[in-house]
Amino acid sequence: MAFLSPQLPSTEEYGVLGEFDSPRSLYRACSQVRDAGYSRWDAHTPFPIHGLERAMGLRDSRLAWLVLALGLGGAASAMVLQWWISVHAYPLVISGKPFYSWQAFEPETFEIGILGGALGAVFGMMAFNKLPMWYHPLFASKRFQRVTDDGFFISIEAWDPKFDVEGCQKFLREIGATHVEVVLR
Amino acid sequence: MPDLNQAGLTITPGTWLYRLPWIGLGIGLAGMAGSAVLAQGHLQEFLHAWLVAFLFFLSIALGGLFFVLVLFATKAGWGVSIRRLAENAMATLPIFALLFLPIAWGAGQLFSWWEGPGEDALLALKEPYLNAGFFLARAAAYFIVWSAIALWFASRSARQDDSGQHSITRRLQAASGPCLILYAFTVTFASIDWIMALDPHWYSTMFGVYFFSGCLVGIFAFLVLVMGILQEAGYVGQVIHKGHYHNLGMLLYAFMVFWAYIAFSQYFLIWYANIPEETIWYLHRMHGTWSNLSLILAVGHFGVPFFFLMSRVIKEKPRLLMAGAAWMLLMHLADIYWLVMPNVYAHGPHFGILDVAALAAVGGVFMGAFGWALRRRALIPVKDPRLPESLQLDHA
Amino acid sequence: MTQTIEDNARYDPVDGRAPLILGGHDFKSLTEAVARPLESKTPPGWWVVFGISLSLLTVFGISIGWLFWEGTGIWGLNNPVGWGFAIVNFVFWVGIGHAGTLISAILFLFRQKWRTSINRSAEAMTIFAVMCALTFPGIHIGRPWVAYWMFPLPNQMGTWPNFRSPLLWDVFAVSVYGGVSFLFWYVGMIPDLATIRDRAPTKLRRMIYGLFALGWRGSMRHWQHYEKMYLLLAAMATPLVLSVHSIVSMDFAVSQLPGWHTTIFPPYFVAGAVFSGFAMVMTLMLITRSVFQMKHIVTTRHLDNMSKIMLVTGSIVGYAYAIEFFMAWFSGNPYERFVFLNRALGPYAWAYWIMVTCNVVSPQLFWFRKCRTSVPILFVLSIVVNIGMWFERYVIVVTSLHRDFLPSSWGYYVPSFWDISTLIGSFGLFFTMFCLFVRFLPTVATAEVKTVLPEADPHFPGDERVIERSDLAPDGGIS
Repeated sequence: MAFLSPQLPSTEEYGVLGEFDSPRSLYRACSQVRDAGYSRWDAHTPFPIHGLERAMGLRDSRLAWLVLALGLGGAASAMVLQWWISVHAYPLVISGKPFYSWQAFEPETFEIGILGGALGAVFGMMAFNKLPMWYHPLFASKRFQRVTDDGFFISIEAWDPKFDVEGCQKFLREIGATHVEVVLR
Repeated sequence: MPDLNQAGLTITPGTWLYRLPWIGLGIGLAGMAGSAVLAQGHLQEFLHAWLVAFLFFLSIALGGLFFVLVLFATKAGWGVSIRRLAENAMATLPIFALLFLPIAWGAGQLFSWWEGPGEDALLALKEPYLNAGFFLARAAAYFIVWSAIALWFASRSARQDDSGQHSITRRLQAASGPCLILYAFTVTFASIDWIMALDPHWYSTMFGVYFFSGCLVGIFAFLVLVMGILQEAGYVGQVIHKGHYHNLGMLLYAFMVFWAYIAFSQYFLIWYANIPEETIWYLHRMHGTWSNLSLILAVGHFGVPFFFLMSRVIKEKPRLLMAGAAWMLLMHLADIYWLVMPNVYAHGPHFGILDVAALAAVGGVFMGAFGWALRRRALIPVKDPRLPESLQLDHA
Repeated sequence: MTQTIEDNARYDPVDGRAPLILGGHDFKSLTEAVARPLESKTPPGWWVVFGISLSLLTVFGISIGWLFWEGTGIWGLNNPVGWGFAIVNFVFWVGIGHAGTLISAILFLFRQKWRTSINRSAEAMTIFAVMCALTFPGIHIGRPWVAYWMFPLPNQMGTWPNFRSPLLWDVFAVSVYGGVSFLFWYVGMIPDLATIRDRAPTKLRRMIYGLFALGWRGSMRHWQHYEKMYLLLAAMATPLVLSVHSIVSMDFAVSQLPGWHTTIFPPYFVAGAVFSGFAMVMTLMLITRSVFQMKHIVTTRHLDNMSKIMLVTGSIVGYAYAIEFFMAWFSGNPYERFVFLNRALGPYAWAYWIMVTCNVVSPQLFWFRKCRTSVPILFVLSIVVNIGMWFERYVIVVTSLHRDFLPSSWGYYVPSFWDISTLIGSFGLFFTMFCLFVRFLPTVATAEVKTVLPEADPHFPGDERVIERSDLAPDGGIS
């Protein structure tokens, strides 16, 4: 399944990985990478660091629009389904209420709307992040295993126009990386 | 940390805000004079209009009382710099005892049970509760409880402006819990007495919560407007910022949705069970052009603001949020009107100069009292120990 | 020793505030503390609890098997009480299921950082409680093999469900709630599953946890969408929690039966659900933190905060009881008046007063700080509250039905042996699932707890929020 495997640069290396010792030094380093003009790079942390997205110069997530659309869509389709079933497919007189009793259809309309929004949020996140992706070159790095514990990393990828193996390693050291390695693809 | 000695924390003498007590009083007196003239021959209509105006402004003051109590009960730091504005709103509560006088005087025109149950068997059963003496005694009790709590909290808070004692905060925190319990029952029974009893055959266990949700919509909309107006006039620029607007906007949004939840649940359960003695109350509100107002409330008090106030961008732009808040206040007024007025106009809303006069009378007095409280003390609790937390409020 | 306190855990000038995480943890030691229960040898205490739970689960299985074999006649149901334990247990379990998503969602929206230590287990509890709850409508409909008729599926008979039925709303509300709660729980766990994956000593373990971790690699670009998703889920889960128990309350409230038809039911049920849910979280957390030695992560301050929420919701429930009673009198309707008097003074008065004592009187002890922070008192009270909340549903269901409008159709409902065994057995399902959860999954949201540590702030140190421990006011220093 092609979409489950990472797109990789055509070079021999995937990129350069630098490790930092604290959220504080990572934060500073990120703003320096941003200011140096790199575009294909990323930070890796065990937990979300408040304000780091600004230090990295990332755009706001657009997920909310998807969720709003799917939520409203879910609600609307639930209402239409109930109307169609109760008025056309299987009309029954229930406690003297009209076939189309919008009040009584409100609870399910709401529930399905929430369901649509929630599915949109979860699967939207996965789509935007290209997850699941069980294989990734970074996993080959032994040190990188600490990213889910107490390791803070910056990776600069090989297809960045400004990428060069030596220069990037030097740059990461300059901005405070305690350890730098090259990750092969 | 901004410099608290800078100007902008007290109302400057000579400005229109400083004269607000007189302006308010002027409007109030004009409204009363107008009401007195217009009430000739329309006493019943006038009393209902007065009740609407009274409940509308009372709900804002009661919302303020609740907000202050909750800020203390939860030991919340973020809201400290806007707490004084809510305190000023609740400090007007004693005035409402005076504004209640026309209602007490004309209760016979408002409540069909006032002169006794007559032939009505149901009213005879309810007579131990619905009778003139007990009604007035209860009203007195509500005003005593509300005024005592409000004045005590406001005066302690003002005292802290000088001394900065932590013990004051501790004592208010300890008192806030029991006060909230008193609050819940007094507000519930006040709404039963003053709104539900207009239609004395009707009953709904949800009603107290319904009125309470309106109080909160009222106070949060009011606070946003007051904050915005003060800032445009050059006050509290450094101590109230985006984070406060955002949080208040969130609260306004949350309680607007809460109102819709309560309103829909009440309507829905009564609609579904379809018991005549209950549905009649809604039937009145779907009769004639009242159905238009019902629809306006559904759309205007919920549908439109649900989308308008959803966006964070809007909640952080004071001008836009103020527009939303003004709209919510208008809708809250429409809600109160919708609760009271079908009692006198059977076929549809009849908003006229009489209602404007009553609103001017009550609103002017409320505004004057609020303005008076506003200029007596600093605009924020300057020595509240949690003020720094509020000043650094970072919405994330 | 320098103790650091951050954000709403931050030092409070008036009362002081105990820190959220005790014991001088850093990122690494937190990971250790959370992962240890999964990786170390199973503690004997776990086997004891698991053994008991599994036997109860067996009782559940036997009871349901016998029910399917014999039919609902084995229960104590009859006229006029045609709705007994099954619906009581259903509402009870759904109610318990409310605290989990509520803790996660509402407390997240209010930026209450103390949630991070308890939210994971609370969410898990939600899912297991919803599983227990869904069992009851599943088994009490009499013909469980046609349960799919409840869904709008095209079929050869050309029939469709009746969307005006509150019981159908239940099906949708509770299933959606279960589904969304599961998603919320699972996606919240992804970063922690990745942690377990990266620490795994064996390849098999690495593959199993890795499969569910979806290849999470802590990318900041991922975190950005992830956090947005979490916020949106929280924002949607909050009204969802409210709606679900409101809809459950409508099973009763849309009817015309005095005692059931009362407009305050939706918010009153929600408050009761949160009340019982927090009580159950309390019971479970008290056990878990002592079995797995996590007292430094689930601290006295968490217990204190949870007791306060129980005090508030318990008082709201008390308010609703009072208003219902008053309004029954105020209505002037003789049937309304009778039902409520009958509750308090009739043959089921014992159940009514158990309910009032447990739900309204007992939580008033939480006004006192001593009771909010004493583990034995909390443990007993949390169980008392759940007993009370079970009886609340019993009172609502049974007392409203047992004296019908005609005195000739009055009766007295007595549960049968199988009613009781099914109820007790459902606890087996719940606790078995919970035991498996604490053994195999990260019980604390490690990634989120790390954000509560002061050094997680990129502007640390040099931050004025770092306070010396000795600065804490004496009355705030619980540890």
